[in-house]
Amino acid sequence: MAASSSVGRVLTLCKQFQNVIRISSSINTQHCSTTLIKYQPLLYREKSPLAALSGYSPVSSVGQCRALHTTINRRGLEEFFDLPENWGETNVKSGAPWTAKQLRTKSNEDLHKLWYVLLKEKNLLLTLEQEARRQRVQMPSPERSKKVERSMIRLETVVKERETALRLLQTGQEKARPGAWRRNIFGYVYWYRFKEYAIPWHMNRRYKRKRFFTPKFVQPHIRLRIEQHLREKARKATLDKKTQSILKEKFPHVKVSAS
Amino acid sequence: MTTLKRLQNNYLISYVSKPVGAMPVTRLLYPLFQLGNPQLRILRPNWFLTLVRPGKEQPPDTVQFRIPMEMTKCDVKNYLEKIYNVPVGAVRTRIQFGSNKKRNHLNQKVKQPDYKVAYVQLAQGQTFTFPDIFPEKERMPAEGSMEEMQEKFMEDEKQRQKLDPRRGGVTEWFGL
Repeated sequence: MAASSSVGRVLTLCKQFQNVIRISSSINTQHCSTTLIKYQPLLYREKSPLAALSGYSPVSSVGQCRALHTTINRRGLEEFFDLPENWGETNVKSGAPWTAKQLRTKSNEDLHKLWYVLLKEKNLLLTLEQEARRQRVQMPSPERSKKVERSMIRLETVVKERETALRLLQTGQEKARPGAWRRNIFGYVYWYRFKEYAIPWHMNRRYKRKRFFTPKFVQPHIRLRIEQHLREKARKATLDKKTQSILKEKFPHVKVSAS
Repeated sequence: MTTLKRLQNNYLISYVSKPVGAMPVTRLLYPLFQLGNPQLRILRPNWFLTLVRPGKEQPPDTVQFRIPMEMTKCDVKNYLEKIYNVPVGAVRTRIQFGSNKKRNHLNQKVKQPDYKVAYVQLAQGQTFTFPDIFPEKERMPAEGSMEEMQEKFMEDEKQRQKLDPRRGGVTEWFGL
């Protein structure tokens, strides 16, 4: 992955750091990560999952620089819990959720990392919620769960957008999962999405029981169904017309928008 | 281009969203595995673990999790090792049946959801005790704030409810 990024990146670690760290392409990334271990105590939650509190901002620079990854996970199971100073608080401050617009500016690697940051945050909040229920105490700032959930959904949509764009450019396929329009036993035509099987369809007993055709005795009912639907539509239209005429009688001066 | 490589394997990992009202858990359709296929890799896993305090006494190296039903022991092991960097020894799982006994005001049975519990034993002799996340903290409300006024009001009310201290604890029930 380090080789893939030819354009260099200079990362500002967090707001506490004023000096910018630059690594030349000759130095190994692993070697760089060891030199930064001494900064560990300050890097507690430098990668906040919510956008407003994030002090992490990659800045592209001129010259050949390697991408640097400094988040060394040393906390293990402690990451299921909040920072110790937040234990027992009734309100824990958190920033705004990530918007799709903000996420679209980030690279794929950043989105991948953000997903895991959000995942860990969600695990943290779930443990907190469960423990609060156990101790019969209110969970501090429950709105965080929704924020993380929404951020994750938006991240997913952005990634899907990128994947569809790439697929359209490379193969011309609109849908990721192949499918077809098929008629089921009840006469309805629907988009059937294909499923992967190890055997061909004519050897698949469960698949053959599905019957993607309408039997002859169902055919008359399709017409009856269509008739019912048209009657329903007509009833609705006449009801609309009636209400409009009554309103027109009551309030002749009111202008009705053309719908 | 990493996305190019992903295209061949993952086009069938499609997501189907559950109906409105349920938690937006996306249903994954995994590509079929046949002998000789490459190892399935999941990018952006949609599984969330909840660390819970054990109801029964557990050995010091055991951590108890609530995991989604779709996860297996291998999944839990890989999840903790790769994402949390926690050395995992053994994992045992069981499915907890959620009761269907309680009834609501319409006498309909209400089902508590089932969930899977994983008991993870840490490797390398590590131990874990579930910490006390809600310690009692001395909270002084901010000056001039709503909380301070409310607290003062409550204290005054309590003072008013108390009996005359000169009565020495005797209740008002007696005439004198």
